[in-house]
Amino acid sequence: MKTFVPRSLVLVGCASLFFASSALAEETSNSFWPLSGEYTADATYVGEGDVERNPRKKVSDFDEIDSDIRLVLTPRIKFGVLRLGAEWERFSFGLPQGAALPNTLQSFSTIIGLDMQFSDSIIVRAETQPGLYNSGLGHLFWDNFNMPFLIGGTYIYSPDLQLVLGVSVDVERKYPVLPAVGVRWKIAPQWLLDAVLPTPRLQYELTRDVSLYAGATVRDATFRVDDEFGVSHGIPRLNHAVITYSEIRTGAGFDWKISPMVTFTGEVGYQPYRNFDFYRAEVRYHQDGGAPYGTISLHGAF
Amino acid sequence: MKSSALNLPRQFPRYACGWLVLVSLLFVGLTIARADAVSELASFSIFDKVDLAQLAKSDVKTAHGPPMRTSRFLAVQSCYVTPGAPAQQMEALRRWDPTRHRELKVFLHTDLPSSPSPANFEKLKNAPDNSPVRSFVAATQKLSPDLQVSKDEARKFSAGGGGGGTMPAPVATFWADVLTSRAKSFVSGGMAAQPPYDHAGPSIRASDEVNGLLREQEKIRRQFSGFLGATAIGHGAGSLRPELYWELLDVDDQGVVTLGASYNRGGAGSTYQAADVLYYASGGYYVALTLYQLWPVTVEGKPSTLVWRGDMISAASLGSLHGVERLGSESVMMKNITKAVTLFRRDSSGGR
Repeated sequence: MKTFVPRSLVLVGCASLFFASSALAEETSNSFWPLSGEYTADATYVGEGDVERNPRKKVSDFDEIDSDIRLVLTPRIKFGVLRLGAEWERFSFGLPQGAALPNTLQSFSTIIGLDMQFSDSIIVRAETQPGLYNSGLGHLFWDNFNMPFLIGGTYIYSPDLQLVLGVSVDVERKYPVLPAVGVRWKIAPQWLLDAVLPTPRLQYELTRDVSLYAGATVRDATFRVDDEFGVSHGIPRLNHAVITYSEIRTGAGFDWKISPMVTFTGEVGYQPYRNFDFYRAEVRYHQDGGAPYGTISLHGAF
Repeated sequence: MKSSALNLPRQFPRYACGWLVLVSLLFVGLTIARADAVSELASFSIFDKVDLAQLAKSDVKTAHGPPMRTSRFLAVQSCYVTPGAPAQQMEALRRWDPTRHRELKVFLHTDLPSSPSPANFEKLKNAPDNSPVRSFVAATQKLSPDLQVSKDEARKFSAGGGGGGTMPAPVATFWADVLTSRAKSFVSGGMAAQPPYDHAGPSIRASDEVNGLLREQEKIRRQFSGFLGATAIGHGAGSLRPELYWELLDVDDQGVVTLGASYNRGGAGSTYQAADVLYYASGGYYVALTLYQLWPVTVEGKPSTLVWRGDMISAASLGSLHGVERLGSESVMMKNITKAVTLFRRDSSGGR
């Protein structure tokens, strides 16, 4: 009689289920705090880049600072793992005078979700982020309310290979329903292909506490600008307009596990794609010149 | 309806009446046996509703155990119906050889006598040449902090001496000595006599871990308390004689040597309880325990066995998993158990 339990069970790590950030940590003792959870605090600086609406309407040499703070509690309940939390995200642009673009895009949202185990092979996440998505602290009104949500499933083929499929829904977005597929494949003991949005990566575990990676970050969110934005920027139809902001960064970085509950990430790279789209008003600024960027982040789980 | 349509004989033969009573009693008895097995299963396990006929036609049913407070603990329960009496199933479990199935990642398996010696670990020298075994050798040669040995055991390692091959002689000798000593202390003093894992980091005792696992699953602990009290699981040597073995296996791409002990005991009504404990591991996990309860049942007129299996494990790396990662690990553990049970059932039914 033999047990056959421990062969390989411990390091599935499908945290990056779908549009989610993974949390890495060693054994943590949270006896002082009865709840489990995960957090992220990151900041990105993007150097001066350009966008254009057409050859005569360019916005040149503006930089960008992104900040994101996210805390999610993950208590275990009968039906799975509950996800309850909050997020503040802010894009701040150093735009020149007269540019018909908002200086700030930000959101305050709550996070309500559930991870459910449907079988020994399928885990499903349903998560919504109701909140205010607007262009600055001075414009907090209920008509800025939005409630994007996602539903994604992970198929655990084996401990080394998981397939991910999901949809992100945002009724205010230009394309309200965006499907996505991904794969998480442990190619070799030190190599991991984590090709799952929003941060597809190829990772190499240098030591127990340090990993190197190369990959991308995909950001896409919808906001509503204030009532006077159009008039003040010379395009009245942009008053109270919806803007979809998208960017893609490609780069390389490292994860340094400072303690069981804290991981520091540093990343540098190039931003090849950026798009401001007032799609309902048919005003779109697309990337004209890319820019280098650098990101620092603290994240972990408890 | 006309009474003649009932076509009842005027006088029911006395012998037929006797048969009817006997058959009725037998039927009632079997129904009670089935009901007892199912209700007993429901009383301590996660499976509160089981349809035996349906279960007999399906694969193994698995579910994660109740959530536990200790983050390094994980438990999965499973149940299935298999043809044959519990005694036959017990014997098949005892004889099953996992090394025949490469997907179970058991490289070496050897049964041990009640008084083991280093010679019983000779096979270590012929370990297969693969990445997990090479990692295991490298970790040993540098006495990696990941190795789960005591300080005293670590002091005994000597990297000197020759020997090539996948498992150099000093490495094989070191592990043969460690495993012999630990197997002997298990026989004489049970799990309580096992040296702690304190070579690097906090001191961990396998007996504390297994007791913690049982303490956090109170219904299971109560169901098996009498049986476990007669074993060496979680305390000193018990009255039941263990079947001992060691294995070299792959745990998350790392080679691990482990020591195990199996026990079983028959109970009233041809039921069985059994336990399989991995009371020592050189890495990957601290301790693993599998408990079995077997009941005789009749399904579609055939003698069968209802098997409940509870797998529980304590591992440092489980402590790092939160939220969906933990769900993922449970899923993988459930898949592994399903795979192992499916292979076992296929082998024991003679199918290939």
